[in-house]
Amino acid sequence: MYWNPHIEQADLPTLRALQAQRLRDTIAHAERSPFYGALFAKCGISTDSIRSVEDIRRLPFTTKEDLRSHFPYGFLTVDKKDTVRLHCSSGTTGNPTVIFHNRHDLDSWSNLVARSLYCAGVRDTDVFQNICGYGLFTGGLGFQYGAERLGALVIPAAAGNTTRQIRLMQDFATTAVHTIPSYLFRLHTAFAEMGLDPARDTALRLFVIGAEPHTEEQRRRIEDLFGVKAFNSYGLSEMNGPGVAFECTCQNGLHVWEDCFLTEIVHPQTLEPVVEGEVGELVFTTLDRQAMPLVRYRTRDLTRFLPGTCPCGRNHRRIDRISGRTDDMFIVKGCNIFPMQIEKILMRFAQVGTDYLILLQTRNGVDEITIQVEMQAAWFTGDLAALEKLARQIVHEVRDEILVTPTVQLVEPGSLPKSEGKAVRVRDERQA
Amino acid sequence: MIAHQLSIFLENKPGRLEKVTAVLKDKGINIRAMTLATSTAGWGILNLIVDRPQEACRHLSETGHPAVLREIVVVRMADRPGALHDMLVLLANAGINVQNAYGTVLGDGQTAILIIDVEHTEHARQLFTAAGVATLTAEEVYCV
Ligand SMILES: [Zn+2]
Repeated sequence: MYWNPHIEQADLPTLRALQAQRLRDTIAHAERSPFYGALFAKCGISTDSIRSVEDIRRLPFTTKEDLRSHFPYGFLTVDKKDTVRLHCSSGTTGNPTVIFHNRHDLDSWSNLVARSLYCAGVRDTDVFQNICGYGLFTGGLGFQYGAERLGALVIPAAAGNTTRQIRLMQDFATTAVHTIPSYLFRLHTAFAEMGLDPARDTALRLFVIGAEPHTEEQRRRIEDLFGVKAFNSYGLSEMNGPGVAFECTCQNGLHVWEDCFLTEIVHPQTLEPVVEGEVGELVFTTLDRQAMPLVRYRTRDLTRFLPGTCPCGRNHRRIDRISGRTDDMFIVKGCNIFPMQIEKILMRFAQVGTDYLILLQTRNGVDEITIQVEMQAAWFTGDLAALEKLARQIVHEVRDEILVTPTVQLVEPGSLPKSEGKAVRVRDERQA
Repeated sequence: MIAHQLSIFLENKPGRLEKVTAVLKDKGINIRAMTLATSTAGWGILNLIVDRPQEACRHLSETGHPAVLREIVVVRMADRPGALHDMLVLLANAGINVQNAYGTVLGDGQTAILIIDVEHTEHARQLFTAAGVATLTAEEVYCV
């Protein structure tokens, strides 16, 4: 049932005590780095500042900008000769961000990915095809090492070449695949074009999907298309990569591995903890990383803690799938709103497409939100009353979700600006 | 043959209507009658009576306009006060909901007709026949 039974089944007092101990160790490591050495000295922080995990709130936050401005070695706590690997981001704007690992860090990370995969049901009998970029991207080597640690047979398929991916699946009877959700839709089309049915012509039984925001509805669609269970994976390069939070076989949110990541959810503006269960920004402190520990790292990812305990018996708290980025959030009438909340509602209506545009405007000094959504030609009956009813239903359900009443405008198919890479979802035309 | 109107989803924006009429003009399709039903939220449905509805519907769909054919009931309007009222009462008494109704004049320039968009067209046609009101065939509506 469990990869690390003692840790995964630990009761809460044990888990919190372990976290407090590891937090002190992390502070001790971190102060050896130029960045934290100076910062802790300035704020008067030492290992003595930490008695329990609650004391985390005395510590300052770390941001991506901090990582960038202290590129490349400002966060390194050990001699460069003791590090064994680095992963760095592309850095399209300004300096890239880089994370260094020593042997201990890689060992810990591999174990976390193995634990994650095991928790989703991957076993050493599986043939695991890793369809994602290798190289600097953490998903390649991260899953490679983790799945090897688990004992699965790993195919380092890397990204692209759909025909070859299908060939590999057939030649080696792949049972588990890790990839991004959008690729699975492409893969399914390719199967169809080759006259193949994945349910009949492959041995697939499990998908691990992540690294790309997606909704519960999209996950269900993937499961229906392939007849295969899909499990949500969450990670970010600053926290190693994959293996930060993962779904268990209950598929009811992602367990965060709290023995290795002290997890907070804070309000993106006030930085105060949100009320338990409310959406806010994820903040992590590494608890088992030596070469480059990070303290209260602001991920800019938005989610919430899910209430209750999980039937799987793991006490590590569960987070909801990522509902957006703090960069995407907008505020209307005092409510924090994320495009994903609206997208989630629109997906319930087959009559409209998933292309939408959120318009923010000021009318008579009041903020108004208008959602433009494309009418699906196949559902058009020529009945005005039916369309008005549809719009009213969307208004109603969106209002229940975001607590602000929007205007819903149905528009012609194909009339909204199409995404090139990143979709244009929000247009803010409000006067400051 | 039963008559159909062409219903087209239309955004309430400048130039949208022209896009539709351009497609029809391009295919030499003749518009006999037209109404536009609009919603307050910025969209509407354009209802057209054209001479070749099936063809028009296909061309519009192909050019990305959500369009469908809706069965309609068309009756000749008697030239006397209260004629329209009587016909609507006939439908109302039978519990038939009128989605839309509009009038036009046939190609002869003399005969006024009423185009009625109802949910149960067959039922409506039977009611009119029983009441001695002749319903028009598709050929009469499109081409006269
Ligand atoms: Zn669980």
